[in-house]
This record gives sequence, C-alpha cells and structure tokens, in this order.
Amino acid sequence: MKNLKFILFAAVLVLLVNCKKEASVETSAKMDTAVAKVDSVVIPEIHQELYGIYTGNFSGTEKRFDEYSKEGYDEEIEKRLSLKINRITKDSVYGQSIVNGNQRPFRGVFNETENSFVLDEPGDDKTDGRFNVKIKSDSLTGKWVAYNKSRVKAPLKSLKLIKKEFVYNPNFMIDKDSDLIDWTNPKDFEEKYTDSETGKTEKYKTERNRVASDAVFKINASKQKLTEKDLKNLRKLDLEIIKNSVFARHGYSFKKETYRYFFEQTDWYIPVSNNVDADLSPMELENVALLNRFTKYAEDKYDYFGR
Amino acid sequence: MFLAKKNRINVFKILLYFGFAYFFWLMLRLTLEYIPAKPDISFLMIKQTEVMEHSAYLPIFYTHVYTSIFVLMTGFFAIIRKDFGLKNFHRSSGKMYIFLLVIFSAPSGIYMGWFANGGLFSKTSFLILGIFWWISTFLAFKYAREKKFSEHKKWMWRSFALTLSAITLRLWKLVIVYFFQPNPMDVYQIVAWLGWIPNILLVEFLIRKKLI
Repeated sequence: MKNLKFILFAAVLVLLVNCKKEASVETSAKMDTAVAKVDSVVIPEIHQELYGIYTGNFSGTEKRFDEYSKEGYDEEIEKRLSLKINRITKDSVYGQSIVNGNQRPFRGVFNETENSFVLDEPGDDKTDGRFNVKIKSDSLTGKWVAYNKSRVKAPLKSLKLIKKEFVYNPNFMIDKDSDLIDWTNPKDFEEKYTDSETGKTEKYKTERNRVASDAVFKINASKQKLTEKDLKNLRKLDLEIIKNSVFARHGYSFKKETYRYFFEQTDWYIPVSNNVDADLSPMELENVALLNRFTKYAEDKYDYFGR
Repeated sequence: MFLAKKNRINVFKILLYFGFAYFFWLMLRLTLEYIPAKPDISFLMIKQTEVMEHSAYLPIFYTHVYTSIFVLMTGFFAIIRKDFGLKNFHRSSGKMYIFLLVIFSAPSGIYMGWFANGGLFSKTSFLILGIFWWISTFLAFKYAREKKFSEHKKWMWRSFALTLSAITLRLWKLVIVYFFQPNPMDVYQIVAWLGWIPNILLVEFLIRKKLI
C-alpha cells in the first residue's frame, strides 16, 4: 500500500513537471511570435521605391610610378560600379557594392531630409570603404573613401550612378562597333626592320595584341545549342568572349579586365553579382562546358608542336 | 678529297639521326598524352561529335595512335639499313614496320581522314595520303619478297617520306602559326597538304637523281 502511494505520488509529480514543461514551451512560442510581430511592426521598410541597382562610373586618381623617368605621376582611372540597395528601414540600409568582381555587403543609414546615404563596407577587405552619396530621382552621386588609404591605389573615388533595371535577355550581344582588341594580354614578338636607304636589317621587340573576330557578333551561346563545328575555326579570344557573353547577360561582374573591357562597351551590361552559376540555363551550361573544352584545346595546342 | 666528302656525308647523317631522335621524342610525348586512354583528351577534346556519333571512331583512333609511334620507330631503324651487330635487325624492323602500317596504321588513318577537321579540303588530302601510304608500303613489301631490292628501296623511301609527314605536318603548323596566326582550321587545311607533298616531292627528286 505504501508502495502504491509512492508510485501514485511519483506519477503525479512526473505529470506536473511535464505540464510545466509544455506550458513553458507554449509561452516561449508565444513570445517568439510576439517578438517577430514587434520586429515587423516597429521596423518597417521605408522608401522601397529606392530599392534597386544603381550602376555607372567609379573614378579616381591613382598614384603611379614611372620606372623609366623615376617620377611619380597621376593616372585617371575609371571603373564600373554597381550599388544594390536591398532594404531600407528607419535606421538601417542594407545592400551590396560590386566592382571588378569584388562583391561587398554594406550597411548604412538613409537621411530622409537630405536624401543622402552613408554606406559602410565591412572593413575586413583592404578595398573596403565608406560611401557618401546623394540620391536625386534616378541618379546616385557622391564619393567613396577607403578606410585604409595606404592599401589602395586610389583611396578617394567619385561615383556617378544611374538606376537601372537588371533584366536577363539572351539576345544581348557585343555591340557591332565595339573595339575588339584585347589590350590586356600583349605578347612579345620579334620583328625585322630593313632600312630602305642603308639596307641594314635590324631586329626589334614589339608587342602584339589579340583581336577578336566577328564571330563574337554571330555566335550566341545563350540562344542555340552550339556544336563542335560552330567553334572549330575560332581562336581562343573568340571562344572566351562567346563564353563570357553568357555570364555577362546574367550580370556577372568580371574579375578579369579583359572581359570587363569588352562588355563595358555595351549599354546592356550591368554587373550585379560575382557568382551567377546558378542562373545559367541547362543549355547555357552545356555550351559553356563545350566552350571550355575548346578553350583548353586552343591553349594546349594552338601554338605548340601537335595538331 | 674523296675522304673529306665521305666525312661530310657522315656528319650530315649523324645530324639527321639526332634530328629524328628529337622529333621522335616529341611524337612520343604526344602519344603519351593518350595514356591512360580517355574518350576526351588532347586531340579528342574537339572530336566529341565523332566520338559520340560513330562508335568505331574511338577504338580506331587509339589503334592509330598506339601503333603509329612504333611505325615511326621501326621505319627509322629499317631505313638506315644497319644491323648494329644484331642478326636480321633490318629485316625484323622492316617486317614490323610493314605489318603495323599495312594492317593497323594506314587503314585507321584512312578511316580518320574521312572525319578530318577542316572540311572537304583537308579530308581529300588525308584520304590520298592514307591510300598512297598503304600502297607504297605494300609495294615495298612485295618487291622485298620478290628480291627486287632496288625497287624495294625506292618504295620504302616513298613510304617513309609519308610516315614522316606526322612530323613535318606538325612542324609546318608551328611555322605558319608563328608567322601568320591564322584561325586553327585555316592552318589545318594548309598543313594537311603541306605535311606530305614536299616530302614525297623531295624523295621523288632524290630517286630521279639516283641518290636513293
């Protein structure tokens, strides 16, 4: 009997504890929703009309050093920058900056009376800094200052951006009147020169730049399944441009200057991300794989002993 | 005077041997790219259409690659006509050359010529090359059997001149790309012909001049 009482007591105790537990879980669940509600109520998103992609020039002056004259000089540089404004609340702005394939998140504040933003990149990259920009209808202008002025070539840059709608369009191609010379990969080349008066022949070193062919206007790897036959007679630069046109259409921000140069000549190219792999269609993926194979072949074989 | 001339010829021969050894080494390295065998390496990187559409292409391609390196080697040993103190060295290497070439290398080469890069222009060249290669080698074999060694020697030289097109084709390609940088298939169409025609013309000239 005593035993039974004890068991009953124990069972009641266990039940009570269980009830308490459930109750506490319930209350915490209630609290969660309450917090969530509070969050959405207290911090509403404002100025959603300003959300979007602002893209344009990012220019500054770089200090350079001339090896020949041993003198420093200033060089004007211009890059293409995109700022993505993703979320604005009363006390915070969230978004990303993208330049030369370097995508950085930023956080900042929006001043409603002055229509200006102060946007801070995280600071753990040597190229991070602070944007001070003003917005006026669709244009965003202002300046950027690097946190660490000694680690970047141009610590002060000005920006002039226009709001653009990014849309993927498989029909986008390089402009027909583009400059097709790749200025970034010159190859040393020896040439002979014969003086017409003295008849002496001299050798001199010169540089040769690659030039793309008009195949880059004709072959679109986003629209049709490419075959080996389409690509066989193309040189490496053509293959690279045809392939990277796919990535440019998806808004890829190129790290390599070579490709930036070709696509920044178009008015449709808006760099919005440093990784667009997930956006490629199955056909584009197949074409990119094929183009990679041909590029590899061109690299391995074109100017070597072999076929 | 006579001795000096003979010496000069010997020096020339030794230079040729070293030249051949160097290019044989390059060809060997190209062959080794195909070991282990894979369906999409090296030249096959741009031949996937044929690999996919014709199941015979890959085995025939590999037959050509793996036998031709031995054809090149045994052909060289046979053409220098020295036994190096080994019994029947010339005969054995010659037999190996003819056997590998007539049964494997040339038929597989002709099959591949049908699918050659560069369209009809280069296909025609490779088909003619393959057929001439087979015929010249077969005739060399026939005249050896009939003990007509003067004819045997001439046909062997013709055959080996075509064998060497493997090297000369790739050399011409290098030269043309260095000077003119044409598109890859434009080079290919040129070297398809340039690879073997000067070779055979040179040998024919030497035969006419009774130097072979």
